[in-house]
Amino acid sequence: MSETLMSEPLPMPARADAPRRVAPPPGYWRLAWGERHLLIERRALIVSLLLLGLLTASSLAYLCLGQQVLSPAGAWAALKGEGDPLAGFLVRELRFPRLLAAWLTGAAFALAGCLMQTLARNRLATPGIIGIDNGATAFAVASVVGLGVSLAPPAMALVGAATAAAVTFGVASGGDTRGYRFIVAGIGVGAVFGAVTQLLLARVDIDTANQAYPWTVGTLNARPGGAVAVLGIGLALGWPLAMALARPLSLMRFSDAVARGLGVGLRRRRAQILGLSVLLTALAVAVAGPVGMVGLIGPEIARSLSTSRGVPLTASALAGALVMVLADLTGRLLLAPIELPVGIVTAVVGGPWLLWILMRPTHRRVS
Amino acid sequence: MSVSLPRASTLIGACLVAAIAAAVTPAQARTLDTAHGEIEVPDAPERVVTLYEGALDAALAAGVMPVGAVTTRGGDDVARYIAPHLGDQRPAIVGVVREINMEAVVGERPDLILAGPSLADAQYALLSKIAPTVVPQSPGITPEAWKVEGRQFGEALGREDAVNAAIEGVESRAAELAERVDAAEVGATANLVRWMPQGPLVMSDRLFASGLLEAVGLDVASGDLVNGHGVHSDPLSLENLSRLQGDWLFLATLNEEGDEALAAAKDSPAFARLPVVDNGRVVPVDGQLWTSANGPLAAEAILDDIEAALVP
Amino acid sequence: MSKAASVNIEPRPSAGLSRVMPMLSGLLALAVLASLLWGAGEVGPARALAVLAGHGDSEARFVVETLRLPRTLIGIAVGLSLGVAGALLQAVSRNPLAEPGLLGVSAGAAFAVAVALWLGASAATLRVAVAQVGALGGCLAVMSVARLRGPGDDPVRLVLAGAAFSALLASLTSLLLLFDQRTADEIRFWVVGSLAGRRLDDLAAVLPSLGLALVVTALIARPLAALALGERVASGLGHRPGRVRALVVIAVALLVGAATAIAGPIAFVGLVVPFAARALAGPDIRRTLWLCLPLGPLMVLAADVVSRRVVAPSELPLGVLTALVGAPVLVAVVRARRLPTL
Repeated sequence: MSETLMSEPLPMPARADAPRRVAPPPGYWRLAWGERHLLIERRALIVSLLLLGLLTASSLAYLCLGQQVLSPAGAWAALKGEGDPLAGFLVRELRFPRLLAAWLTGAAFALAGCLMQTLARNRLATPGIIGIDNGATAFAVASVVGLGVSLAPPAMALVGAATAAAVTFGVASGGDTRGYRFIVAGIGVGAVFGAVTQLLLARVDIDTANQAYPWTVGTLNARPGGAVAVLGIGLALGWPLAMALARPLSLMRFSDAVARGLGVGLRRRRAQILGLSVLLTALAVAVAGPVGMVGLIGPEIARSLSTSRGVPLTASALAGALVMVLADLTGRLLLAPIELPVGIVTAVVGGPWLLWILMRPTHRRVS
Repeated sequence: MSVSLPRASTLIGACLVAAIAAAVTPAQARTLDTAHGEIEVPDAPERVVTLYEGALDAALAAGVMPVGAVTTRGGDDVARYIAPHLGDQRPAIVGVVREINMEAVVGERPDLILAGPSLADAQYALLSKIAPTVVPQSPGITPEAWKVEGRQFGEALGREDAVNAAIEGVESRAAELAERVDAAEVGATANLVRWMPQGPLVMSDRLFASGLLEAVGLDVASGDLVNGHGVHSDPLSLENLSRLQGDWLFLATLNEEGDEALAAAKDSPAFARLPVVDNGRVVPVDGQLWTSANGPLAAEAILDDIEAALVP
Repeated sequence: MSKAASVNIEPRPSAGLSRVMPMLSGLLALAVLASLLWGAGEVGPARALAVLAGHGDSEARFVVETLRLPRTLIGIAVGLSLGVAGALLQAVSRNPLAEPGLLGVSAGAAFAVAVALWLGASAATLRVAVAQVGALGGCLAVMSVARLRGPGDDPVRLVLAGAAFSALLASLTSLLLLFDQRTADEIRFWVVGSLAGRRLDDLAAVLPSLGLALVVTALIARPLAALALGERVASGLGHRPGRVRALVVIAVALLVGAATAIAGPIAFVGLVVPFAARALAGPDIRRTLWLCLPLGPLMVLAADVVSRRVVAPSELPLGVLTALVGAPVLVAVVRARRLPTL
C-alpha cells in the first residue's frame, strides 16, 4: 500500500513560475520594497497604535492635572519652557520626569512580565511575583537603615535584584522545562529576602522604617534621575532584544518537543529570556521600587486585545506604561494633598484582577 | 528631558526662586552651611515649609508659623503636642512623612524649606529647586542632636536668638527640675521602654528623651541592653527583663491609650515582677512625643511629663 | 472488589514507623529539654537543671517555669499545627510544595490581623478568632484554585497562585499601613513570627479548635489515603472526595489560624516537616501525619532555641530562622529529578 503511494508522482508545487506578488496571509499586511517584503500583523499594529494613542492622551492628562491644573496648551508651553515659570517648574521639573519614569518602569515591568509568562506558559509567572523584587527591597532597605556598604538605595536595589536573580539561577541550575525550577527557587529565595526585610524593619525606629517605606511599596515620587537614565538605556537595548527573541518565544508556547522540532535551542533561549526579563525588572525596581502587578496587568491587557498568533511584546510594554501612568495619576489626585504611592494603586487595582484570574475555573494557558 | 538637561532645569528653578523671592521680600541673602554644602537663604524668610517634625518644632519655638508642614506619623495632622502652639493659624498639609507631595510644596510658594537630616538625595535635588532647602548637619543619634539641628534651623530662619533662648529655657528648667528631683529623693535611675506584644523594646540612652532624663539627673542605663551605636532601640528578651533595674520606667506607647499598654505589659508575669512595677513607678508616656519628636517645644512637653511623674 | 482494594490500602505492618517513631520521640524530648535549659538570659543550663531537679534559686525558677515552659508548650502546639496542616494540604492538593505559608494561608491570617489592628484592636489583646477567620479565607481562596488540580497537572502553578495571593494581601496590608502609623508600628513586629512573650492564655484559647482540627484529621486520614489512589478508587470505597476536601480545608484553616494567632506567620514549617516525614516513612499520608506529630514540634523548638542564642540578649525572630532553614528544602524539592506529584 505504501509502495503504491510512493510510486505515485508527487504533484509539484507551482513555485518557480508563480507570480512574484503573493497575497499576504489573512490578517496581515504585506509591506514590500524591491525584492524584500515584510508581513505585518494587522491586528498587532492596530492594537499598538490604539495603545499608543491612549498613552499619549493619558500622558497629556498627567502633565495637566495636579495640585495646579493647567490647560493642555499651557502644559505644552510650559514643557517647551515658555510662559509662567511656576507652571514651567511644575511641568518640567516635577511632572515630566515623573511621567518619563512612569513610562519606562511600566514598559520594563510589563515587558519583563510578558517574557517570563510566555516562557513559563503561566500568566502568574512574573518577576515580581516570584520574588526578584524582594531581593531589591531587602538590599535597598538595608541601605536605608544603614547597614553594610554606603551605596545609594537605587544602586543597592539593583545589586539586590541581581543577587536574588543570581542565587535563583544558581540553585535552579540544570535543565528542566519551562524554568519551573527557576520559579520555585525564586519564590524560596524571595521568601528569605522577605524575611530579612521584615527583620530589618522590625529592628529600626519608625522614622527610619518610614524612610525605607518607598522601597517596600514602590513609588514614582522624586526618583533619582541617574537610575531613570540607566533604565532608559536598558530599555532601549532590551526592547529590540526582546523583539529578536519573539520568534523563538512564540514557538516556545508549544510543547518542548514541538519547539525543538522547529529548531529552537531551548536551553540557551530560555536562559536568554529569563536573563532579559530579570535585567529589565532589576533596572525598573532601582527606579521605582517593587511596583506590583504591572508585570501582570500589562501583558494581560495586551493579550486580551491581540490575536493569539504572536507574543504581544510591544503591546505589553505600551499597556504597562499606560497602566503605570494612569495609576500614578490616580495616586496623585485621589487623596490630595496626600499622595498614594503608585505601588499601592496598582496593587489595589490589580488585586481584584488577580483574584479573578485565580478564581476562574480553568487556567487558560498563555497562548 | 529634564534629566538630560540639568543645566536648563536649574536655570528654570533659579528663575522660579528669584521670582518668588522677588514677590515676597527684597532678596537679601545670607550664606548658610548645611549638609548639602553652603546655600543662600533669604534674610527674613516669610513663607517657610517644614518637612520634618523637629523643624516644625524649632520654627514654632522661634516664633515662625510655617505655611506648610507634613503630618505627624499617625494622623492627618501635626503632632498632638504641637497643636496648642498653633493658635488659630495652621500650616497647610503638604503630604505625609513617607510621601512628600512636591506639587503641594510648590503650591505654598515657599521661600525657605526646612527638612530633616534623613532627606533622600533625589528629594533634596527637587526641593532645592523650589526654594533654599536646609538639611541640618546632624551629629547622628546623640542626646544633643536636637540642639545642633534646632540652632541650624534657627539660623536659617534668621532667629538664632529665639531658638537659643528656647534651648536655654529648656536647659535651665531641666537644671531646676534636677535639683527638685534630687531633693525629693525619688531615685536616680530610669529606663525608657516601648512595650510590644513579644516583649519590651529598650530605647537607646542616646535618644532625645533619654538625654532629657539625664538632664534632670536620672541615669538612663541602657548601654548594655541596646546593641551597637546609632541604634535607636533594641528588642529585649523577656528573660532579660530583670536587667531593667531603673528606679523609674517610662513606658512609651504610640496610641493615646497608654493605660491599655500598661495593662497589657502588666499581664506579662516577667513585667509584673519588676520592682519598679511594685513601687508604682511605671509612667506611661506618649511614644510619639517621647521616642520620635524633637525640638525645644517637645523638650518642654517631655519635661512636663517628667515633672508630673517625679515631683508632682 | 471494594474489599480487595480496601485490603490494599490497609496500613502495611509499618516496620519503618515503629523504628522511626521512638527515635523521633527521643529527639523531641531532647529538644524540649534544650528549650527549657537555654535562653537569652543569664539563667544557664546548670541553674535550669537545678530547677528541674526540684531545687534552684527563685530567679531561675521564675525563668524556667513562667517563661520557658509556656514558650516550649506553645512551640510544641505551633509546630504540630503547622506540620500537620502542611501534610494535609499537600495530600489534598497532591502537591509537595503546598505549604500554608507559600499558599497564602498565613498571609490571609496576617492580613486579618492587620485589619483588626487598623480597626482599633491592640496587638497585645488580639483574639485568636480574627486570625482563624483570615486563615480560613486564605485557605478557601487557595483551595478554590486547588479544587481543579488533576494528578497530571504541574505543582508549580498552585505555588504561583499562592505567591500571587500573598503578594496581593501584602500590598493591601501596605495600604493600611500608609494610613495608620500605629498599625504600621505594631504590625511590623507582628509580621515576623516569634514565640517570645506569648502566654499560656493564648494557648488555652486555641486548644479547643486545635483539638477539633486533630480529631477531624484523624477521621479523614483514611479517606485521604484512598484519595491518593485516585478519585474513582476513593468513590468506589465509599468515600466522598468533595466532603473530604472540605474537611481538609476546615482542618487546615483551624490549624494554621491557631498557630498564626499565637506566633504570627512562621513560614516553611509546613513544607520542611512533611518533606522530612515522607523521606523517613514513604508517601502514605497516615504515616506522614504520624511522623509530623513529633517532627513539627522538633523543628520549631530547635529553631526557637537557636533564635534565642544567636543575638543574646535580644532574640532573633523565629520566622526568619525557619525561612533560612526552609528555603533550601524548597529548592531541594524542586531539584529532585522530576517534580513528584503525590
